[in-house]
Amino acid sequence: MSYLELSGLQKRYRDSVAVDDVSLSVEQGEAVALLGPSGCGKTTTLRMLAGLVDPDRGAIRLDGAEITRLPAHKRNMGYVFQSYALFPHLSVARNVGFGLEERGVGKPEIARQVEEALALVRLAGLDQRRPRELSGGQQQRVALARSLVIRPSVLLLDESLSNLDAKLRDTMRHEIRSIQRSLGITTLFVTHDQVEALTMCDRIAVMDRGRIAQIGSAEDIYERPATRFVASFVGRSNVLPATRDAEGRAVLWGETLPVAVPASGEFDLFVRPQRMRILPVSEPVSPGMARVHGRVLRSVFVGDHVEVLIEGVGGQLTVEMQSGSAAPAEGTEVAVAWPLSDTLPFAREAA
Amino acid sequence: MNGAGRVLSGLAAIVYALILAPIVVVVALAFSADSFILFPPSGYSLRWFRQLAGHAPLLNALWLSVQIASVVTLLSLAVGVPAALALAKGRFAWRDALTNFFLAPLLLPTLIAGLALLLFFTPLRLTATLPGLVLGHMTVTVPFVIRMMTTAFQTLPDDIEAAAATLGAKPWRVVWRVTLPLVTPGLIACACLSFLLSFDETVISLFLSGPRAATLPVEMVRYVEGRTDPLIAALSVLLIVATLIVVVVVERLVGVARAVGK
Amino acid sequence: MTGSTRLNLLVLPAVLFLLAVYVWPTLGLFRNAFNEVGPTGAMVEAWSLKTGAEVFADGFTFELTLNSLWLSLTSTLIALVLSYPVSLFLFRTNSRFRGLLAVIAIMPMLISGVVRVFGWLAILGDRGLVNTLAQSLGLISTPMRLVFNWTGVTIGLAESIMPYMILALLAGFGQLDRTLEEASRSLGATPFRTFLRVTLPLSLPALALAAGLGFVLSMSAYITPKLLGGGRVFVLATEIFEQATTNTNWPVAAMLAIYTLGLLLLLLAISNIAARRLQR
Repeated sequence: MSYLELSGLQKRYRDSVAVDDVSLSVEQGEAVALLGPSGCGKTTTLRMLAGLVDPDRGAIRLDGAEITRLPAHKRNMGYVFQSYALFPHLSVARNVGFGLEERGVGKPEIARQVEEALALVRLAGLDQRRPRELSGGQQQRVALARSLVIRPSVLLLDESLSNLDAKLRDTMRHEIRSIQRSLGITTLFVTHDQVEALTMCDRIAVMDRGRIAQIGSAEDIYERPATRFVASFVGRSNVLPATRDAEGRAVLWGETLPVAVPASGEFDLFVRPQRMRILPVSEPVSPGMARVHGRVLRSVFVGDHVEVLIEGVGGQLTVEMQSGSAAPAEGTEVAVAWPLSDTLPFAREAA
Repeated sequence: MNGAGRVLSGLAAIVYALILAPIVVVVALAFSADSFILFPPSGYSLRWFRQLAGHAPLLNALWLSVQIASVVTLLSLAVGVPAALALAKGRFAWRDALTNFFLAPLLLPTLIAGLALLLFFTPLRLTATLPGLVLGHMTVTVPFVIRMMTTAFQTLPDDIEAAAATLGAKPWRVVWRVTLPLVTPGLIACACLSFLLSFDETVISLFLSGPRAATLPVEMVRYVEGRTDPLIAALSVLLIVATLIVVVVVERLVGVARAVGK
Repeated sequence: MTGSTRLNLLVLPAVLFLLAVYVWPTLGLFRNAFNEVGPTGAMVEAWSLKTGAEVFADGFTFELTLNSLWLSLTSTLIALVLSYPVSLFLFRTNSRFRGLLAVIAIMPMLISGVVRVFGWLAILGDRGLVNTLAQSLGLISTPMRLVFNWTGVTIGLAESIMPYMILALLAGFGQLDRTLEEASRSLGATPFRTFLRVTLPLSLPALALAAGLGFVLSMSAYITPKLLGGGRVFVLATEIFEQATTNTNWPVAAMLAIYTLGLLLLLLAISNIAARRLQR
């Protein structure tokens, strides 16, 4: 049995289902991301873990003990809120020491641990400030220190970086990850930002409409998405409508591609734009490659890469080229090639 | 549209003059040297303030009103704040019905509430007593406290209290260490307004006051009915100043419009 | 959150208090309306409609009703006409004193009604501000009668309900979208036309609600008619008080109170329905 087990969790509100059926096992010291769009139930799942929402069904077990109905204050879970939820009437030190005070820890010991925690999040010296006197990044660190100082059984982070600007978010990502690793603290991280999920966690659970669509390593999720939803939510893909020939092979823009396709119904081929290469029409490709023809519509320089939009008989697709490599001129007839193994067929959903 | 425009501003200024007229006139009249209501006064003096300082019925009534308003405020907060907390934070099916029940007395005209209380208190010998007046005023202040404090509790971010719970604070500790400190400004404003509501309450007091126990507004009504001299103006200045203090405090803490509006 | 069942119990003191000092006395008021007054003037416990029949057979009740309605109508209309520009001004202004101005507009409702009535006595009295001014300007030779009659009561009532109406109007304006006015201006309408064709129609629901509120407040006002009427203005409110205290005729007072309450509820319902109709 794993350290933390969620089984069959469900939460319905009056007219909607927030969490339909979530089961998840987390090992001690592991960091798992709950990744999904807003409304997929990831925050509700986290709040059920913290005891802030009562599940309608299912069970939560921590270190072998059932905690499903345990009130929040008895769970010892560190929760970092999206809004940080710092106590505005208390100093930074009192904020961080709050949990220890509630546990009846002695004053000198609280002072020592608070100092240590503030040093850990690099806020030493700000202990007498009020939360509103801190920047967003500093508030975030206080919230983190406040949750870490109680030595939580599980650290729960709810969209904790989404209120920071892009640059700070980058720094905090690495800091939180290294703190998490060095303390070996079991962590659940709710986010809608795939970069956060991919960089900060050992495993990712992609959530869709109240259920977990796929659990796996960053590579699993990215390279081998289990569902159409995962493929389209994680990373960018060309979604290319394809047809089926008499022998059941995929036909794309008039070219037959030897990939396994759904036996019936309409389907699309998902191909990541950065796996595609642009070749001169005359250049042949090796057997393991797919190849279609088209004309360059335009190229857009996006900083670290160039997006080339190509139009063929069956529609348009985007190829991502390294910036620096020369993009073909507009109007040029080109071939586009990619490994067949990077071609993922998914049945089209009924609208 | 940019701003209010000249026509509208002009109209508003005229209406403001009307709104402030009775108050300004009362203040000026308080310093009158005349022995009857003449405005503008023919001369100015402090004689009516001196007169007031020696007027036992009004001073006794003032003291009684202060006592009543203090007790009313304390009791209303004691009864109303817990109810507001439960309404704002608790979860129960009949919360809307209960909220309406608590707010209904605010809609009942004090004329009718006063009559109902007179009929109820007379057989109990509570009319013209301090407990009777306190209970009577509380029919106004308790719903007011509940309304104002429910809003105050509801506007607190839920996450802050949830954070305290995840850090190990028991529910009553959350209330004590987080909820109450955060609503303190609202609580003080609410106390000030309750005091003022009770202190100024006139109609219910008129029903419940007797010769033995008359609150200040009642004594003032009796005085104005009998005589017309500027003594009441002098007293009014004190009341206006007291009201202004409350208004400033409330405005600083929560905003007057928010506190007295819906 | 767990533990909230005990939290719910915190409503108990307030519920018990209101049951005892609000619900029970109000029921008692209804009960009293069906008692009778014996020949000696003492109250007799009964379940009869005799008091009701007496009250409504009396032409004076009808007269009081008309007086009350007329007084409320006139003072509400005056207050509405005066409150509207102030509310619109407060809604529109970019002045940094907006907050202060709003407080000044609603502050009178926190100042004792007796104080303000006294102020009107000094303004409208025979030797008050208005008469002194008019006489010194030579407009009149003998003082005008402005208080201790309907004029004084109407003015005093209008002033006393204005803060409430300004608040109600401001709340209503909150839903008024400024860009609509800007759109109207950009389409070539003058400010006045914009007011007539956009602002006013959109604020009609707020006006209806404010009017209902003002009406109810002036119908149930007692202090102003009593003090500014000087014993010459008779409305339902003054009669209820007289019957209850001077005459100690409780059944009649209770019956009149219930009757007045019924009228108020009817008027509130009408203004609410009007506001909802105008919303469309």
